[in-house]
Order: sequence, then C-alpha cells, then structure tokens
Amino acid sequence: MRHADTICGALLAALGCALIVSGAGFPAGTGGLPGAGFFPQAIGALMALLAAALLVRGLRHRSEGPFSITNMREVAVTAALLLAYLLLWGSGWFVVRTAVFLAIMLSLLGQRWIPALGYASALSILVYLAFDAGLNVTLE
Amino acid sequence: MAEILAGLSAVLAWQVLGFLAIGVCLGAVFGALPGLTATMGVALLTPLTFWVSPEQGLAMLLGIYCGTIPSGGIPAILINVPGTPASIAASWDGYALTRKGQAGLALGINALASTTGQLTSIAFLAFLAFPIASFALRFGPAEYFGLTLLGVSLMAGVSGGHVLKGVLSGTLGLALALVGLDPMTAYPRYTFGMSEFLDGISFVPVMIGLFGLGEVLVQISDRQAARASAAAAIGRVLPRIADAKRMARATFSGAAVGTMVGAIPAAGGDIGAVIAWEQARRTSSDGDSFGKGSLSGLAASCSACNAAIGGGMTTMLTLGIPGDAVSAILIGALLIHGIQPGPLLFANNQAFVFSIVFPMIFASLLIMVIGILGAKPLAKVLSIPAPWLWAGIIVFGTVGAYALNNAVTDVWAMYVAGIAGFLFRKTQIPLGPLVLGLILGPLMESNLRRALILSRGDWSAMLTRPILLVFLTATLLSLLWPLIRARRGAAKRSQGRIPDA
Repeated sequence: MRHADTICGALLAALGCALIVSGAGFPAGTGGLPGAGFFPQAIGALMALLAAALLVRGLRHRSEGPFSITNMREVAVTAALLLAYLLLWGSGWFVVRTAVFLAIMLSLLGQRWIPALGYASALSILVYLAFDAGLNVTLE
Repeated sequence: MAEILAGLSAVLAWQVLGFLAIGVCLGAVFGALPGLTATMGVALLTPLTFWVSPEQGLAMLLGIYCGTIPSGGIPAILINVPGTPASIAASWDGYALTRKGQAGLALGINALASTTGQLTSIAFLAFLAFPIASFALRFGPAEYFGLTLLGVSLMAGVSGGHVLKGVLSGTLGLALALVGLDPMTAYPRYTFGMSEFLDGISFVPVMIGLFGLGEVLVQISDRQAARASAAAAIGRVLPRIADAKRMARATFSGAAVGTMVGAIPAAGGDIGAVIAWEQARRTSSDGDSFGKGSLSGLAASCSACNAAIGGGMTTMLTLGIPGDAVSAILIGALLIHGIQPGPLLFANNQAFVFSIVFPMIFASLLIMVIGILGAKPLAKVLSIPAPWLWAGIIVFGTVGAYALNNAVTDVWAMYVAGIAGFLFRKTQIPLGPLVLGLILGPLMESNLRRALILSRGDWSAMLTRPILLVFLTATLLSLLWPLIRARRGAAKRSQGRIPDA
C-alpha cells in the first residue's frame, strides 16, 4: 500500500507544482485584490506540501510492497466495454446498443447468455421509456 | 389561530391531498434514481400545476420536494450511490450498515430521521421564520467564505482515519473546481480551449462516477466480498427504543444545523449534512464508530439534509430570496399563480403560509410511511444477483448523468470519476473530501474575492465581522481537534487506562 502512497504523492506533488506555475500565468489582480491565479496557486501550494508529506511517508515504508487489483481481467474488460459504449454514444439505436452492451458485460461476468440478454433488453427498454418518453431526455 | 385553521382546511380537500400524494410518490422515484434531482422533478412538473388550483399545484410541487430528498438516501444506503448530492453523507454510515446486514434498519432510520428533520424545520418555518431569515440575511460574502472554509476544514473529519490522504483528496476536489471561467473576471482556467469546460465540472456526474461506477468496479474486483454482502440479511427496520434515545441528540442537532444552513442562500442540504455529521461525530462519546455504521451518524446526516428544505423555504417565503435551485423554481411557480413571496406574504396572507406548512407536514409524514413500509421490499434489491445490479447501476448512472444537461461530456466526467473512484478505493484515498472540495471550492473562492472587493483589498477588515470570526474559530477548532484527540488518546494510553489498538 505504501508503494501506492509514493506514486500518489509524486503525481499529486507534480499536479500541485503545475497549478502553481500555471496560476502565475493568469492575469494578476488590481488594487491589491487577488487575480485569477490566486486560488490555483494557493491550492497548488497546499497540494504540493501535502503530497510531499505522502511521498516521504511512502518512501520510508517502501518495503511494504505495492497494492494489487484482484480480478484484473474482468475490471479491464468492463472498463473497455464502457469506453466502447461511450464512444458509440449518440450513434442511434439506443435500446439495441445498450442491450447488447449490457448483455456482453453480463456474459463476460459469468452470467448465462439468454437470461442476460433478456434482462439487458428489459432494462434498456425501461430506461428508454423512463427518460426519453417520460422525461423528454433525447436518447439516440 | 384562524389562519392556521384556514390553512388546514384548504389542504384537507381530497383533491389537494391526492396531488400531494402524487407529488411525494414522484419525488420518491426522482430521489431514488441517481442523476435525477429535486430541481429536475419540480421543474418538469411545474407546467402541470397551471391546470389546477394554486393549492393543488403547490401541494404537488412541495410533495416532490419533500419526497425527493429522503428517497435520495435509499440508493446511498443500499448500493453506496447517493441519489441526490444531499445524500452523500448518508452513504458513509448507511452503506456500512448495509454491509453489516442491517440495511432494513438503515432505511428505517433514514425514513424516521428525514421526517424528524423536515418536521423540525417546518416548525421553525411556522413559528420562527422571520428571526431565521433575518439571521440568514446578515450573511455577506465574508460570512459565506467563513461557512465554506468551515466546510472545507471538515475534510479531515470525513477522512475515516486517513487524514493526510483525505485532505489531499479534498484539495484535488478544490483543484477540479478551478476548471471553468474565473468567477470574478470570467478568464478561462484549465479549459484547454474546449467550450464544454467553460461551465466547469458538474459535481453530480462526478459523484455518480466516484460512488456508483467506482463501487461497481471495486465489487467486480472483489467478487467474493460482493457475494457475501449481497447475501447479507436485511434485519429489522425500526430502531429499538434504546437506539432511538441514543440517536435523538444527533437527530435534533442535525435538524437545527440543517435548518440554519438551509436558510442561507446557496448553502443547501449537502453542506448541512456534512457539517451536522461532523458535529455529531465530535460530540459523540462513540465518535470512532462514525463512518463505520454509526446509527447516530446516519441519523444526523439524514435529519440535516432534510431540514435544509424547511430552512430554504423560510428564506424563500419571508424574503423572496431563493435558497437553492428548487426554491427558485418554486418562486416562479408561485408568481405564476399570483402569489408574491416576501415579507408582505406573512403580513397579509398568513393563511396561505399555513397552506404551505400543512402540505409539507403531510408530505413528510407520507414519505416516512412509504420509507418504513417500503424498507423491506426495497432492501430486496440486495438479493438481486450482483452482476445484474451492476448493470442497473451503470445504465441508470450513465443516462442520469447525461440527463442533467443532455451533454455527453457529463458522461465522460462520470466514467473518468468512476475509474478514479476505483483507484482511490484501492489506495484507501477517501472519496467524500473530494466531492466536498468540488462543491465548496467555487463558493469559497468567489465569496473570498467578493469580500476582499468590498473591503478594498483589506484582509484585516474582514476580521471585524463577528459571524466570520465565529466560523474562523470553528474552523481552527475543527483543524486542531484531531490533534487534541490524538494527544489525549496518547496520554490515556501512557497512563494505561485504555489498551493500545
């Protein structure tokens, strides 16, 4: 877990520094008032300070090893399916597209094909009726 | 007394009660579906009220408002996905109770504490409306800044034992809140030339992603644990008398905090619930159990987020100032029906004021009955096979995020937040502070800078404002309290009074 602390600390420290640097490029305030860069710099400084503390803590306990993600394949496949579903958003056939996406996801998660397809179809139709027909949210 | 009876008799017509019941049921559906908010429900159904009498139309809108917030706690408790932003704090203890096999009790407490919060705030509205509203009116930018600073300082408290990571998570939320136009000069910050980012990052899709999609990915990763929790018992619904007595203080103090915060324009139930939860944790003798399934923690947050309804209505009716987006739409509906909210409403038409108070009372009682009777059937959702439940969360979350603005960027925000939520959970980074930072960041920045404009850039002039000083003191105490507790704990351990953990 401490390995994760080191990575998070380093990433957030870099983000904090980026906020400080980018904030300096925003227009300054006038008449002693803070400008658009004041808050980014203040938050960046706070983040860099706290992240440095996390980084040091992580480095001190390096021997405790990295964190692990179990069932990595299923998580990755679900994330990839979500990405594909999102990339196809608005391409038409909402009910069919959603039903197919859900059925594939359910079958990859160990569910039988036919019940999965039935449930996915029913869920897609329900969502379509509730949002598109009921609430006038255009789902394509 | 005559005004009270006139208000009551206007409400007791069966048509009014019927529209009220329809509103409560619709509100319950809107609250239970992540992405659908009270604002959306009231806005969608306001045109329908033009076809009926003002009493009937208003009863339906109030029913939606009073029904949405308590039912927002249902998905927060059962599947760790807050139905509304106000229910974020309810998920901290509510979902922990579900994992312990006490989903029924969590839902029962949600119903009871929500109604207690609503009824308490309605009592404030009926009898103390003007003092509360005049207190809320004393809030200028400096006081708002103090309130938001106090809210941000609670990050450490809601970090569940990971203080450093919690504060960092909150700082990340504050950083995300910087995206969009600068609140004072409209200078674009971190938009990368994309017009979609000019309005900033909406926190509702982020919330759905962090808590909903993130939870789904975690459960896919830990499938054994997911199966165990799905098989958990529902348990009893109503708390035992002894538990109710233990929760009473947290419930009523949560109601008071929620009413006061709700009365302050732009500070709603989401902020009120977090402040009430943290206050209850600090004052409880069992503060360490908060976030791990504390009944008092759940009661305080549910009570506060619902009490904000009465607080917001108080400011709206007495001053004509909308406390939040729902109140703004309600003001519009009232104006269309020929009713002008403001001080004269209380002076000239007190019967009408009570014709608002009584529907709210009936609505909060009805949602309590629905909540208690529906607790066991609703908790059956836990016996649905986990992959089917995940599919439902993903599709409702996705479409709910899209429905907010009909924008696919909100769905992207939800998915990115979902992946981040998964990684954060795996690395034990608390999620609550991030959402807190995202909500409070814009309020804190804009109000500090407005206050400095009013004081002509003089920081010390702000310290002459007593309400701000109270908030600054509370913030300081809030930051020092974990250190004080740690020192006291260490002192006790060194004296051998309590065993080392």
